[in-house]
Formats: sequence, C-alpha cells, structure tokens
Amino acid sequence: MFTEFKHTLRRLRGSIIGWGIGIFSYGLLMASFYSAMQGMEDFTELLENYPQEMLAFFPSISEIMTPQGYMDTYYFAYMTLIIGIFSVAAGGNLLVADEEKGILDLLIAYPVNRSGFFLGRLAGYLVATAVILIISWLGWLIPSGSSGLGLDAVQLLKPFLPLYVILVLFGMFALFLSMLLPSARSAAGLSGAMLVINFLLVGLSNINPELQEIYVLTPLYFYQGGSAVVGVDWVSILFLSDLAMILVLLAWWLFTRREIRVGGEGGWKLPNLGFNIRRI
Amino acid sequence: MDNIKAIDIRQLHKSYGRVPALQGVDIDVDQGEIFGFLGPNGAGKTTTIRCMLDMIRPQSGFIRIFGFDPRLDPNILHTKVGYLPGELNLEANRKVRNTLRYFVELRGNSVDWDYVLYLVDRLELDLETPVKNLSKGNKQKVGLVQAMMHKPELLIMDEPTSGLDPLMQQEVYRLLRQAKTEGSTVFFSSHVINEVETLADRVAIISKGKIIEEAEPGELINMEVRRMQVRFREPVDIKPLTQVAGVELQSQNGGKQVTLRVEGDLDAVIKALARYPVSDMDLQRQSLEQAFLTYYQGVSLEGG
Repeated sequence: MFTEFKHTLRRLRGSIIGWGIGIFSYGLLMASFYSAMQGMEDFTELLENYPQEMLAFFPSISEIMTPQGYMDTYYFAYMTLIIGIFSVAAGGNLLVADEEKGILDLLIAYPVNRSGFFLGRLAGYLVATAVILIISWLGWLIPSGSSGLGLDAVQLLKPFLPLYVILVLFGMFALFLSMLLPSARSAAGLSGAMLVINFLLVGLSNINPELQEIYVLTPLYFYQGGSAVVGVDWVSILFLSDLAMILVLLAWWLFTRREIRVGGEGGWKLPNLGFNIRRI
Repeated sequence: MDNIKAIDIRQLHKSYGRVPALQGVDIDVDQGEIFGFLGPNGAGKTTTIRCMLDMIRPQSGFIRIFGFDPRLDPNILHTKVGYLPGELNLEANRKVRNTLRYFVELRGNSVDWDYVLYLVDRLELDLETPVKNLSKGNKQKVGLVQAMMHKPELLIMDEPTSGLDPLMQQEVYRLLRQAKTEGSTVFFSSHVINEVETLADRVAIISKGKIIEEAEPGELINMEVRRMQVRFREPVDIKPLTQVAGVELQSQNGGKQVTLRVEGDLDAVIKALARYPVSDMDLQRQSLEQAFLTYYQGVSLEGG
C-alpha cells in the first residue's frame, strides 16, 4: 500500500508543481491587490452597475471590501472550477488509466491486494490535492503582512478546507464513474461536466428562483467558499465528506470485484460482480 | 504439500458477453514440471492465465494454485507466483533500474537485489535506459526479470520469448530450465510448436476455448508442416522425391525448382534430396492454425 502511495505521489508530482505554482502565483497577485482596491472608492458603485446576470455568479460581491468577500469573489468562488480540472482528471485516471495502458494487468499480479492497491492510490491522490492547496495557501500567506487583509495564517487556511472537500468530492465522483464507464477520459469528462453544470446553477439560481429547488440538492450549495474565513461550517464539511466517503466505498467495492481489462475488452457493461459464479 | 498440484483447473468456463472464450478447460500441472500451453492466437491461453491470477472471473469452474483459490487467497498466490503478461506494458518514463526497484518494493523488498542484477546480466539488459527507449525485446527482458527475481514457486508466462532474438530465446530456455532445477514449476503459453517441443515436459493444446489434446512434446513433431522450396543445378526427375512418406508436391518449374509440403520428420526427405544436385533450399513453417487444421484433419474442432 505504501509503495503505491509513493508511486502515486511521484506520478502526480508534475501536476502538483504545475498547479501549485500557477495557483500560488494567482493567490499572490490577488492578495497584493487587496490593499490597492481599498483606496478605490468608486469600485463598489461600479460593481453595482454590472449586469445582474454577471453578478449572480459572485454572491459575495456586495461584501467585496471585506477580506472574506474579496477572497470569495476573486478566488474561492471559481477555484472549484479551476482546480476541479485537476481533481476530476486525477480522480478519473487514478486506477483506470493504468488499466487502459495495460499496466494494471501486471501490477495486480503482485502481492498487494486490491484493497491495499486502491487505498495506496487514494491516499496519494488525497495528499497530492492537499499539497496543491497548501502551496496555494502560501500565495495568500506570504504577502499577508503587507496585503491589508489583516488575517492570520489559520484564518487564511480556513476557506481552503471547504475547497479541499469539494474538490475531493468531485474527484471521487470521477473515480466512481471510472469504475462504470469504459474509459478514464469519459469518467473525468462527465464529472467535469457535472462540476460545470453545478457551477452554472450557482449563478442561474440567483437569477431564476425556480432553479433554487435543484441547486439546494447539489454539492456546491454546501460549499462555503471565502466566508469560511470568519468560521468554518462544519456541518456542510461533514455532509460533503460523507458523500465523498460513500463514493469512495462504492468505487472500492467495484474495484475489488472488477475484471481487469487488457486492450479491447469491456465496454459499457456493468462489471462482473461475482454473483453469477457457479462452483463445482 | 508435495502431493498438491501446482495447478489444478477443472471445467473452466468464461465468456465475454456472448462470445465463449473458455468452454470447460481442464488442466493439471505437477510441482516441478515445465508445462507448455500451446494454441493459436485467440484460442483461450491468455484468458486461462488471467483467470488463474484472479484478474478476470470465470462464469464457472474450479481453479486451485498450490491448493489455494485465487479468488479467496490472491495475496498468498501472488507471493508464490511470478507472472509475465502476454502484452507487457510498463511506465514509459522510468529507467529500467527504477522500474525494477518499484517491482521489488511491490514485493515488500523481500527480493535479493543481487539476484536481480544477475538476471539483468544474463539477459544483457541496460539498467540506465528509460523504458520508452527500449525495443520490444528489451522490454520483454524487463518482464522476464520481474517475473523471476523472487525465485517464485510457480512461473506463469504468457509467450515468454515474444520479441526476443534466437540467441536470447535460448538464454530464456536455459533460465527456465534452471528455475525448474531449483524447484520451480513453469507454466508457459506459446503458439510456436518448436518452442514448446524444446522446453516442455508436458503440453496441453487449446483451440477455441477447449483443450483438444494433452501430448508429450515428442509427439508435436508430427504436427509440424513445412513448405520446402528446392532449386536444382539442372533439371531432375522429381518423382522419387514425391514418393517419400509425408511429402506432397505443390508446384514445380521444369524440374529445376520444386515446392513441397512436408509433414512431420524431415529425415526421409533430406536423405532423398541428398541424391539430387541441390543448389538452394528454403524451409518455411506453417502457422499453428494451419498445422492444427492439417493434424486434426477429419476431426471437428468445433465439437472437440
């Protein structure tokens, strides 16, 4: 299990460095802009004149002059979508990509049971996502002394917790789908599409109240965003974590019963769950 | 423990959707045996092996490896087994050394690295080359090393010499015989009659998902069908040649060139040719599919 954990981290190191540096730089930039924006008195007035359809996607825009409103509007409101690309791609590829390449065929013949193999890879994914967010957090932390946000390290860290949970949830959705769909790409694509649809619902439900009924049933409804700076909503975190855990358990259950494919086998079929095996 | 079969498979059935891949396969392999599993492409060799290792699940049947059920005890089984897949795929960006280190780690670091280096040396493998730069043959060598590095009790190899040059094939045969001498059981699949004949103590022949025969390797020579083209320095009377048992004339060119179809042993035809002024000769083996059709002429493979 530990070998697979190390192996997964090693494979994801390029993504960790790439995504980490990119999001770190963006955080650094946004943190530095905060003090400059405080002097722009007409800015709030300007924002209020923006079309409602646009403002609907940034629910905290009325609080943009507060640290939590600023961080939410310029960062956390859409980081789910940005880092979500990594999350669903890594989740969908976690096990099935090796199967598609024919590598899993050999690895599964080693004395690492499927559960250990699954857990090793899952742990690697969870740590890789956490490391990307920690690097991203440093982008806010390093200039915090001069940014005028007036937040300490822990306060800056708090909104990254709901972000981590929502990213993991969509990543695990991709992992679960990869156990059912014929390719890692289709699993990542479908989970990515669900994330985008959910993101659009955030804004559209602010314009069309009838969509609220659907929106409240989606994961992003429980996503706290930048407002976590003033206090983490643990109930939502627990709820989203539970959903992610259910998806992990389903994916694990399917993986342990899965027929490992080599090129050309399988397709849009439910996996052989072992119920139809007759013994003599 | 010694009485327990290394491999005991009974009435194994496996289908992919509506396509039957295995239709009641029975195999038993004694400990310490080299067992050849011969069959044309698509006959069910790889499917049988993948069922044995719990990568895919049969619809019905009985599999025991050293008495263990692969579904219930995959870890114990995988500790005892070294496996070489038919289509070996490895992480492209790693060097051979790091690839083998990773495999050693997957075995809980219980492998003697000096023995890995010994195998690397025997197979003339370069540890510092990235896998993506390896030829098919060299990749196959990495697969052979990882399968043998822990001196497994059972080696399961799907086409072990695929992609290797003839010299290296001989080296692999020596390594497998050495493994047998040290107490390992070897189960290998092949579609090359000659390879199975050279290496195996016992052979099972599979076709269309059924074991159609268990044979002694010596009997396989009778299945060999070759196409022989002979050129003579001057026109000759080829009638005596076509009267040799197992020889059939396919074509001739004015008595200066003939194409013969030769079944089984070559001894008689070579002796007959010694009386002719031969200038050139070319020998081609038939594919296993063709050899099967010839050998089992009149026997319906469909019905077993």
